[in-house]
Amino acid sequence: MEPTRMKHQPFCIIKNLQVSFHGRTVLQKINLTLSDSGIIVLVGPSGSGKTTFLRSLNRLNEHYPGYSGSGKIELKLPGSMQDIQDIHSTDLEVTELRRQVGMVFQTPNVLPVSIAQNINLPLKLVTGLDKVEREARLIEVLQEVHLWDEVKDRLKESSSRLSGGQQQRLCLARVLALKPKVLLLDEPTASLDFKASHRIEDLLIELQDRYQIIAVSHSLRQARRIAGQILVMKEGQIEHLLKKEQFEDLEMLQKLLDEIF
Amino acid sequence: MNRLLNFGVYCWSWIATLGVFLVVGLLLSYLLAQGLPTIGKELFFGDAPAWEAIFGQVRVWDALWPACVGTLFLVLLATLLAVPIGISSGIYLACFAPKSFKRVLSLLVELLAGTPSIVMGLFGFAFILFLRNTFFPDANTSLLLAAACLALLILPYLIFTTQAALESLSDEYRLIGPSLGFSQIQTVFHVLLPAAGRGILSGVVLSIGRAAEDTAVIMLTGVIANAGLPQGLFGKFEALPFRIFYLAAEYQTPAELDSAYGTALVLLCLTGMLYGSALALHKTLELRWNQHG
Repeated sequence: MEPTRMKHQPFCIIKNLQVSFHGRTVLQKINLTLSDSGIIVLVGPSGSGKTTFLRSLNRLNEHYPGYSGSGKIELKLPGSMQDIQDIHSTDLEVTELRRQVGMVFQTPNVLPVSIAQNINLPLKLVTGLDKVEREARLIEVLQEVHLWDEVKDRLKESSSRLSGGQQQRLCLARVLALKPKVLLLDEPTASLDFKASHRIEDLLIELQDRYQIIAVSHSLRQARRIAGQILVMKEGQIEHLLKKEQFEDLEMLQKLLDEIF
Repeated sequence: MNRLLNFGVYCWSWIATLGVFLVVGLLLSYLLAQGLPTIGKELFFGDAPAWEAIFGQVRVWDALWPACVGTLFLVLLATLLAVPIGISSGIYLACFAPKSFKRVLSLLVELLAGTPSIVMGLFGFAFILFLRNTFFPDANTSLLLAAACLALLILPYLIFTTQAALESLSDEYRLIGPSLGFSQIQTVFHVLLPAAGRGILSGVVLSIGRAAEDTAVIMLTGVIANAGLPQGLFGKFEALPFRIFYLAAEYQTPAELDSAYGTALVLLCLTGMLYGSALALHKTLELRWNQHG
């Protein structure tokens, strides 16, 4: 298990981040320092740039057509703060950045292979662990996401036979297996029913001491339940960064959000 | 009105599907009725003893066996030449090619797809003439030349189906690899290609069928009526579609025409067998990917 991280230290410094696709600006001049105090939840109306913001942190935006971006993002990765957009950096290749900044998508996107292979394939390709180490890691992460008991007897079955909630936990396990430092979750419960969502939320609360989690959420209830800080986005900008005491009172939060939107 | 239209479209889809089944069924039963009685040792080996003929110890005259072997070699060789190039080109077009270059390349592939097979044959023939007049005075039409021209003919099918299969994968699926820190090559080979396998296989199956039935290309590039078993890559050969063609065109007795039907049936079975092997190969690869990566 990873040691508990230093609390309240800045782990992400963003300067003048601007992102556009096909000339249409999606994120404009974001300046922000995020510190390590629990799960950071991004909320805001659709089209406000939440997902794009998330994808800036692992440079996944570059895979979308028409992308152009500027600005600077520094992330605290093992060692020190590192400029993740410096593509000429020899210290941090984009593949290594994405291993350290794992991402789980809105709809579970398991590989159409066996449950075990979903975790084994990335381990084999990215970490180069041997077979024994891979098997140990597989069990470790499936236990970490509380999936082990449900799948231990059918690891060779196709992952598509799992329920939506199980698939999403498998996706999370697949990312955790690569030992990331930061977890990006893009509305991870959007396609799940209430019970499965609740389960993922519990899991995230459990994992927040071991990983820095940044999640997009469509539900205020969920944001309040799991967040240590809430980032409110509107029209490509960060409108507010709310601390825990500011959103604990639902009425106050609702009033604040009504003012913003 | 809307309901009537729905009903109309529903009926028309049924009739169209039924029509296709009917035509294929009629064709097959006619072929079976005409060809099946001729299937036997004599159709394959003529007067020659079967075992000796199979191993090439005795020459087979006026029978199918050399053409079966010829077609099998021809199709395998053409597929071996075309599949690696076709699939790689499809991968390049779908995953790596810059946008503007992609447009030019796609146009060229479309041009190749639109080239009639007789032109491919002429191209092969002209190429041999060129070689004879320049570097290799002994160059001649052969199994290798015919297979290479057939490979050119089936290349566009492979390129298009590979490209389409890869491009039809969802954006979310495409991002799995990069989001886990895979390099682009790893994403293509370990995530995208296996998922596109079924589509790519359909391209391979289609091109096997195309290579097995084409007569125009091989007529100008090395097939002859009585070559016997193929004597290596640079030898002449016989082929089933060409045999059907000349039996149907120049038959002397009704029995000879019937044996053309038999030959067509054998060609159908041979192509079916090749399809089956492609399918089995795909299943094995899929299973390996599923369990071991």
